[in-house]
Amino acid sequence: MIASNPFALATRLPARVEEPADPQRVAALLATAAEAGNGVVAFGGSTLQSLGNAPRRYDVAICLRRLDRVLAYDPRDLTIGLEAGITLESVAGTLAQARQFLPFDAPLPRRATVGGTLAAGWAGPRRATYGQLRDLLIGSTVALTDGSLASAGGMVVKNVTGYDMSKLYVGSLGTLGIIVRANFKTLPQPPAQRLAIAPLGEEVRQRALAALGQLTIEPTAALVVDGFFERTPRVHEEDTRLVTIFEGSEAAVDRATRDLRSVLGKSGVAETLLFDGGAAAAVLQDTIDAYIEPIEDRSITYRSAGLPSTVWQRAHSARAIALSFEARYDFIADVRNGDAIVRLAGSSARHTTELLSEIDAQLRTALPGITVLAGDPRLRAQVDAWGPAPATLTMLRAIKDRFDPSATLAPGRFVGGI
Amino acid sequence: MATTFARRLLEALGSDVARTEPADLTAYGYDGYKENGNPSAAVVPRDVRDVATAVRIARECDEPLIPRGAGTGLCGGAVPVKGGLVVSFARMNRLLELDVANRRARVQPGLINLELSNAIARYGIFYAPDPSSQKISTIGGNVGTNAGGAHCLSYGTTTNHILGLQYVDGSGEIHRTALGDPGYDMTGLLVGSEGTLGLITEIDVRLMRLPEAVRVCVAAFGDVESASEAVSAIIGAGIVPVALEIMDRLITQAVEAHYHAGFPADAGAVLLVEIAGPHDDMDDAERLIARIAGDHGALSWRSARDAAERDVLWAARKGAAGAIGRIAPNYYIQDACVPRTKLPQVMLEVERIARDHRLQVGNVFHAGDGNLHPLMIFDRRDARQVQAVIEAGNEILATCIALGGTISGEHGIGYEKRQSLSLVFTTADLAAMARVRDVFDPMRAFNPDKIFPTGAVCGEVTAANSTAA
Repeated sequence: MIASNPFALATRLPARVEEPADPQRVAALLATAAEAGNGVVAFGGSTLQSLGNAPRRYDVAICLRRLDRVLAYDPRDLTIGLEAGITLESVAGTLAQARQFLPFDAPLPRRATVGGTLAAGWAGPRRATYGQLRDLLIGSTVALTDGSLASAGGMVVKNVTGYDMSKLYVGSLGTLGIIVRANFKTLPQPPAQRLAIAPLGEEVRQRALAALGQLTIEPTAALVVDGFFERTPRVHEEDTRLVTIFEGSEAAVDRATRDLRSVLGKSGVAETLLFDGGAAAAVLQDTIDAYIEPIEDRSITYRSAGLPSTVWQRAHSARAIALSFEARYDFIADVRNGDAIVRLAGSSARHTTELLSEIDAQLRTALPGITVLAGDPRLRAQVDAWGPAPATLTMLRAIKDRFDPSATLAPGRFVGGI
Repeated sequence: MATTFARRLLEALGSDVARTEPADLTAYGYDGYKENGNPSAAVVPRDVRDVATAVRIARECDEPLIPRGAGTGLCGGAVPVKGGLVVSFARMNRLLELDVANRRARVQPGLINLELSNAIARYGIFYAPDPSSQKISTIGGNVGTNAGGAHCLSYGTTTNHILGLQYVDGSGEIHRTALGDPGYDMTGLLVGSEGTLGLITEIDVRLMRLPEAVRVCVAAFGDVESASEAVSAIIGAGIVPVALEIMDRLITQAVEAHYHAGFPADAGAVLLVEIAGPHDDMDDAERLIARIAGDHGALSWRSARDAAERDVLWAARKGAAGAIGRIAPNYYIQDACVPRTKLPQVMLEVERIARDHRLQVGNVFHAGDGNLHPLMIFDRRDARQVQAVIEAGNEILATCIALGGTISGEHGIGYEKRQSLSLVFTTADLAAMARVRDVFDPMRAFNPDKIFPTGAVCGEVTAANSTAA
């Protein structure tokens, strides 16, 4: 019953679900909730609600699905103004008509919303090339718990008028306000897109990854995927694959692929599987979906951020820990941005439950700063999503207190119990 | 006679770091804005410990703190308008760490922007933000204003290249922020906060790989409007070059007189285009852009033969304001930004406003970003002209706001435009910003009288909006 309710968080259901149709109503609902001492959680497509800890108080769900309009879009400006509840797929469709795009690179774009993706601070695998959403966000409006709507930035691509408040709300997991509008600069679609999957056996790995860094035309994303077979195709039955995507003019993409095959060949990689255009985009999206995909009710997925040069070592440490517990592991190592995504699972939910506390402790020692990204709610409830409080906690608390003094917005969800 | 404040600074930091003599202090009272201030004292710290010491003493003596880079800001951001302690980062100017593999560096705030790119070029990497002042302005100052530059069209502004910061708060405590760490994005808040949230003492920057090929082209147009139409059409066609810059005839002639860069000085407007990327793309991209320019009335098109010629063209473009300074008694640069499609319209409006006020105006601007910089020439000894510049400047800002734009694209708000902030933002918008300030700087110790409007009457608004260099 609870599991099938889209507004269930951990084992709790809200007393009320609101679906406001305009931003003023969102702000009014927040003010009312603050006055009543209620806890509020904002909902987009529920694709990343697994981030952070379960809130201490949860009385009202505010679902933004009715705020789903494109508010301003003149393709010649290369900017777009959106309501927060619009889905990523819908935005992509609008932009594609003018051969533009936004590199959301977030899981499940059919359900995921712009507001939710921003609030989650999602940073995808192509950000080394295109920037992450925070870099493309040029303006925002949020509803605050005092009932006001506060805007920052605007619809221009360069703007130093006042503080860059939009940055504050990105990644705040709805603990400071609820994003109701977001303006972005858009990007022209590259004419060609090609994705390559190469088997990355133990014996070739080091040379192949070193060679990757020497390519004149860099891939817009480069991921080492181990496992996740249901999402990312295998080549030559090899468990570990290198997934790269090149985007640009036909000529540049052709040359990039030739160069890639040449350097991988010299490193001993036998074969590279290629996907073009829509097929390339589909494999990339499938791989991104894997970031949060659970294995039944028995998996938990962590994210370790860090320098690109240490990502392989971090993914490897996590694997060693999983192996020592005879747990199943899958991982994605983003070699351009440094994210290591690690999914662990026991043979059953019960088995994972038994292992989890010890695995979590070992992971946190080996990989400081690791956070929980996804997994079964009961498993997530067993561990702290954030780990030890950061040195900045006093400042973070002060910001929260100033924006949400009554702790209305998802109290306890954020770092350090904020 | 030394004040207690001066004496304490001298005792704690020595005369090498603390400057307290009036004759020495005039150097710390100005930036590119028309009004100067008189600091109570200045410090030139050697390291973050000196900064923390200075902050503690200033707070105990109830003196505000005003951070200073190279003093190239145009909005009074570094001017101690009501006294206080100016903290100059001139001596904290080192590249502390370079991590080529991860393309990042840790620098001190006083490092000059261009010196970073020069120091790392041999590794095939560069620091992308390039304000025209990059030969003298500091990365700390650039962080303060979230500086733009000619190449942000493709690479983004300073904020897109800052990965983390170290800063000193009002109690002299040292903090560090890093992008990607769990928590709110304090790095993003501090960038562009114009020294009002704390003193930034270290900066982690993102570096980019130098492109394989670069091409710089120059097109001549009959007037600024047709050049602006061409820019709108290029962007509208889904082409985002690395830079798209326009100079009008007045600017081009001033620039040519000084640099002899080879710009067509008889043209009504010049469009400077830079494209960069793989070799394979250069010919097609140039052909396409040249064709769109031709369709919009380009009279000529040529591309720089080599790197030396490219450098000369860019040096001339970035030296435009200085070149005007050689031929005009005084000038005032306005900074505003509009949606790209509004550029031709706003340029016509600028021309009309200048004509109405009988002012000579030059235009040199980041057209690809919709970021305009009308440059008004005047003689400050002539009261009519000074008044006309103030009024024209305000009309241009109002026009940009009416067209969906904003009052600063890259120079900042500082002291100059703070009263205009309420033309763009509601009370609720400003209240949210004030909350951030309350958290970082509850005592208003850092750069008071900047960014935020005071509850002023109209007359003061006009005065605060005026400037001249």
